[in-house]
Amino acid sequence: MHVADVADRVARGELTAEAACARSLEAIAAKDGALHAFLHVARDEALAAARAVDDRRRRGEPLGPLAGVPVAIKDAICTEGLPTTAASKILRGYVPPYDATAVARLRAADAIVVGKTNLDEFAMGSSTENSAYGVTRNPWDPSRTPGGSSGGSAVAVAAGMAPCALGSDTGGSIRQPASLTGTVGLKPTYGRVSRYGLIAFASSLDQIGPFASDVRGAARVLSVLAGRDPRDATSLDAAVPDLEAACGREVRGLRVGVPDEYFAEGLAPEVGESVRAALRALEERGCVLRPVRLPHTSYAVATYYVLATAEASSNLARYDGVRYGLRVDPRLDLRAMIGATRDAGFGAEVKRRILLGTFVLSSGYYDAYYLKAQKVRTLLRRDFDDVFREVDVVCSPVSPTPAFKFGEKLADPIAMYLSDVYTLPASLAGLPAMSVPCAPTRAGLPVGLHVVARPLEEATMLSVAAACEAAFPCASPL
Amino acid sequence: MAGPTIDRSLVLHVARLASLSLDEGEADRLAGELATIVEYVAQLGALDTRDVPPTAHVFLDRMPLRADEPRPGLTREQALAQAPSVEGEGFAVPAFVERK
Repeated sequence: MHVADVADRVARGELTAEAACARSLEAIAAKDGALHAFLHVARDEALAAARAVDDRRRRGEPLGPLAGVPVAIKDAICTEGLPTTAASKILRGYVPPYDATAVARLRAADAIVVGKTNLDEFAMGSSTENSAYGVTRNPWDPSRTPGGSSGGSAVAVAAGMAPCALGSDTGGSIRQPASLTGTVGLKPTYGRVSRYGLIAFASSLDQIGPFASDVRGAARVLSVLAGRDPRDATSLDAAVPDLEAACGREVRGLRVGVPDEYFAEGLAPEVGESVRAALRALEERGCVLRPVRLPHTSYAVATYYVLATAEASSNLARYDGVRYGLRVDPRLDLRAMIGATRDAGFGAEVKRRILLGTFVLSSGYYDAYYLKAQKVRTLLRRDFDDVFREVDVVCSPVSPTPAFKFGEKLADPIAMYLSDVYTLPASLAGLPAMSVPCAPTRAGLPVGLHVVARPLEEATMLSVAAACEAAFPCASPL
Repeated sequence: MAGPTIDRSLVLHVARLASLSLDEGEADRLAGELATIVEYVAQLGALDTRDVPPTAHVFLDRMPLRADEPRPGLTREQALAQAPSVEGEGFAVPAFVERK
């Protein structure tokens, strides 16, 4: 059942929230031993919250738009009273004293938090292999990764363990795993959704967004999440239109930009075929395809890895073994305690990024790397400014390949970084972007269509995604 | 841009700035990995960005500041509840003031 089906049936009294929640918990019990999407299942809390929703319905009180909808939360997002680790040893056992605003809004809309999902440590990775607590398997082929970093949330939805989930996307961490697992994954405009309570990776890029089993579900969750939050100075004070209505809107006449640079070397032929078939389906529904140029695309990976690691090196300075989390204290002085704690608590990829980020910010290298990358970020934004004068959305592949095997890219950091080549530019430009399933490969692996829109134009993006979904209806694999 | 030499001593210097204790084997391995990444990102040097302003943040112009008013936050008990070590009303840390 999709998000809207659950909520609307609960609202009408045809389904209890408790039954919807129990169904989700049973699916987790049956499937998650093999898939490992969850780091923590909040069984008792979820059932109690579901019963409270049912009680309120019996008393005739109005219910929220996500009444009784089970939701899985990426473990980089704080949940009051539930462990939140960012899949890092340095936060093992940490239990936040507050909810992230996104979680508080879900609860206020009567959604039921069923558990916390696996990720690459601190969201640094593209395969969920960098978790300190084990890998997550792709339900379409368990020898393959689900992508990342929000791999656990993607798999929770793909395997039918929850109809929706929260992820976070810094360079593609919602869209790439959505593409690799056949789910809908949406990164809102930077600032659309509050980051309060999201464990920070790169603050100028991080954005919370939904996964869902259908486009309308993603739209409904986003309408709950979106809006200004005084606790996040970067959240935008902008009206949120009716996003669910946008999912049923005609796409006739919309201009779809197709960037040459996203169909170049490195794109797996089967992915290219699926995406071209999706573009033809949009054309059949009245969209006008236009070739466009985004000439700085090939610089996005380098730009991103300078800026994101610089911001990460600063954000992760807070893990010092003093206020929360791990402390390794061999009776040394303060500096040695902090160094030993961080050495023991962070995994290899996190250390690599902290060091790269510290390096590009350090005296003598700041201008050549950090300032340079900030300027190239401006060029990447201008590419989109130019293109969006001609078209309404930009469509492309999400990921150059379908789901890859465990270990395939771990040995080569740059090969792993390049798997985000199509998602990074929209992140650097702060644009809304999403993945919607199109035709799978011949081997049956999912492929996503990437739809990018102008700032705050999630509605247009959702209309196009819904049109693609109608052309390629896709079923849950398990 | 002419790339710097990323060797063990540079890695150990950066690790000190980042408050990371690395052993020498780790420093050697990371020197190799970082050299590859730094070489890759050096491609940015090929772009002419003389008249291009930097982007630190995408929508700074539309982010209103809230009023600077005190409001309640975590209680002391909540703030201390997750600490690895507490003494009295504060976080306890190893000595960092040199003794005479």
